[in-house]
Amino acid sequence: MEEKLAAVVGVIKLLNICHAQYALKAKRNYSIPNNKPSFLFMTKTKINIALLFFLTSFQVFSQEQVDTSQDYKKRVLETVEVNILSSYYSQDGDNAAVTGGKGTEELTDATGTIIVSIPLNDDDVLTIDAGVSAYTSASSSNVGPFDGNNAADPFVASSGASSADTWANFTVSYSHSSDDRNQIWSTNLSISAEYDYFSVGFGGAYSRLFNEKNTELSVHGSAYLDTWNAIYPIELRPFEPTGNGLSNGLFLDNTITGNTNYNPKFIPFENENRNSYTLGLGFSQILHKKVQGSLSLDFIQQQGLLSTPFQRVYFADVADSFIENFQLADAVEQLPDSRFKVAIGGRLNWFLNERFVLRTFYRYYSDNWGITSHTANFELPIKLSDKFTIYPSYRFYHQTAADYFRPFEVAVSTENFYSSDYDLSEYVANQLGLGISYTDIFTKAHIWKFGLKRIDLKFYKYDRDTAFTSSIITAGFNFEVY
Amino acid sequence: MIRTLVFMVLLTCTLGSCVVVKEYEKVAINDPDMLLSEQLCDRNLTTMHSYREAAAGANGGKTGGGCGCN
Repeated sequence: MEEKLAAVVGVIKLLNICHAQYALKAKRNYSIPNNKPSFLFMTKTKINIALLFFLTSFQVFSQEQVDTSQDYKKRVLETVEVNILSSYYSQDGDNAAVTGGKGTEELTDATGTIIVSIPLNDDDVLTIDAGVSAYTSASSSNVGPFDGNNAADPFVASSGASSADTWANFTVSYSHSSDDRNQIWSTNLSISAEYDYFSVGFGGAYSRLFNEKNTELSVHGSAYLDTWNAIYPIELRPFEPTGNGLSNGLFLDNTITGNTNYNPKFIPFENENRNSYTLGLGFSQILHKKVQGSLSLDFIQQQGLLSTPFQRVYFADVADSFIENFQLADAVEQLPDSRFKVAIGGRLNWFLNERFVLRTFYRYYSDNWGITSHTANFELPIKLSDKFTIYPSYRFYHQTAADYFRPFEVAVSTENFYSSDYDLSEYVANQLGLGISYTDIFTKAHIWKFGLKRIDLKFYKYDRDTAFTSSIITAGFNFEVY
Repeated sequence: MIRTLVFMVLLTCTLGSCVVVKEYEKVAINDPDMLLSEQLCDRNLTTMHSYREAAAGANGGKTGGGCGCN
C-alpha cells in the first residue's frame, strides 16, 4: 500500500517538474499580466487536485482488497449452552371435536424441553433438542366414554385410556458458518412419537448476509413423513369390516335410546400416512441504527390422512342414537387428503430508547380449504434495570371457517367432506401476556459448571369469541457451561 | 410536479432503507429484545397456537407435521 502511494506522489512530482519546464518556455513566448493567475498555474492546480482525488479513491478501493486471511475470526458459539424450557397449559370450552362440536374441551398439558448447543469448532454448532409433553383431557377421554362409572356425557370426562397421552420429540441439528460469517448452512433430523402418531422429519436451511451484515436472505425446507395409528370412537369400532355391528358387547351391555337402528356411515381410513412439506423464504434488513425488520414467506403442502380419526360428526338428516346421555357418532370427520397453505409474515422491531423496545409482528395466512387469517402481535419489553425486563404483550387473531366446517349436527350424510372441529371454524381470539426476565451476562450465579445467564417467566391468557378459553405459563432457563 | 414529489419521497425512503449500519453502531440492534424471531421461552406458546388455530407458518414455528394436529 505504501509503495503504491509513493509511486503516485512520484508521478505528481514528475508532472510538476514537467509543468514548470513548460511554463518557463511559455512565459518566454507569451506576455502574462502580473495580477492575474496564470492559466498555466490554474491548469497545474487542476491536475494536482485531480491526482489528489485519484489518490483518495485509490485508497478506498484498496481497502476493499486488504488481505483478511490473518483477521480475527470470532467463534460462532463460545461455549456449550443449555436451555431448559417448560410450560403448563390449560384450556376449556363447549365445542369438543371428539364429541362432534358439543362437549367439554377441558385439557391440561405439561411440557419440558432441554436444548443443548455444542460448539464443535470455530464454525460449527451441534444442537440437540429433546422434549416431552404429557396431557390429560376430558375431551379425548370421550373417545371411549362408556367406562361404567358415571353416566356417559359429552360434558363429563371418562376414565378411559384415551384420557391421557404423552408426546416425545428428539431433534438434532447441525450448522456451519463460513469464515466471514456471511453464509450459514444448517440441517436437522427429528423424530416424534405419541400413542397414535409417529413422525420422522428432516430439513435444511441456507442464509446469506450482505451489505456488512445489514441484509440477510434465507431459504429453508423441511419434510415430515408421519403415520397415524388410527383410533376410532368406541361405538364405531364394531362397524369395521371385521366387526359384529350391533351384536357387539358394547350394544348388548348398554341400551340404545332414540334411533335404535343405529347404523353409522363408517369406513376405516385405508391410508394412514400424512406427509408435510415446507419451503420458506426469509429477508431481513437493518433499516436504521435502532430499527430492523424482516419478511417471511412459507409454502406448505400436506398430503395423506388429514382428518383426525376419533373426531365425531353428527348428521342433520340421520336420527340420533344415544347410550345414556351420550350421542353415538354418525361418522368421523372427513377432510380432503391434500392441503396447500401460504403464510406471509413480517416483523418490525424498534429500539425506542434505553428502556423501551417495540416488537411487532403481522401474518396473513391462506389455504385451499377456504381459510384465511390475520395475526397481529405487539410486545413492549420494558427494561426496569440492567438485569430485569418486563414483557407486556397483546395478540389479535381472526380466521374464517374452512369450507368443510359444519357446526354441531349441521352436516348431511350426502356430503363428501365435513368436520365439526371448531378449530376450523370462524372466530376471533385475543391474547394478553405478561412476562419478566432476569439476565446476568456475567453468569455470577451458577450450579456446578452451569452459569445461569437468563431466566424467563411468562403468562398468557387466550380467549376466543366463543366459550373457548386457555392460559399458558412458560419458563425458560439459559445456562452457559464452563 | 406531484408525481415527481411522490417519486422523490419513495426514492428517499428506499435509499434511506439501504443505509449501512456499521458493526460498532449496532449496539441497539444487537440488544436481545431486538431479535427478529420469537423468544425461545415462547416456543411452547407458538406450538399451542399451531394446534388450536388453522394458521401456521411465517413465524418460525410449526408449519405442519410432527404431530396429529391440523
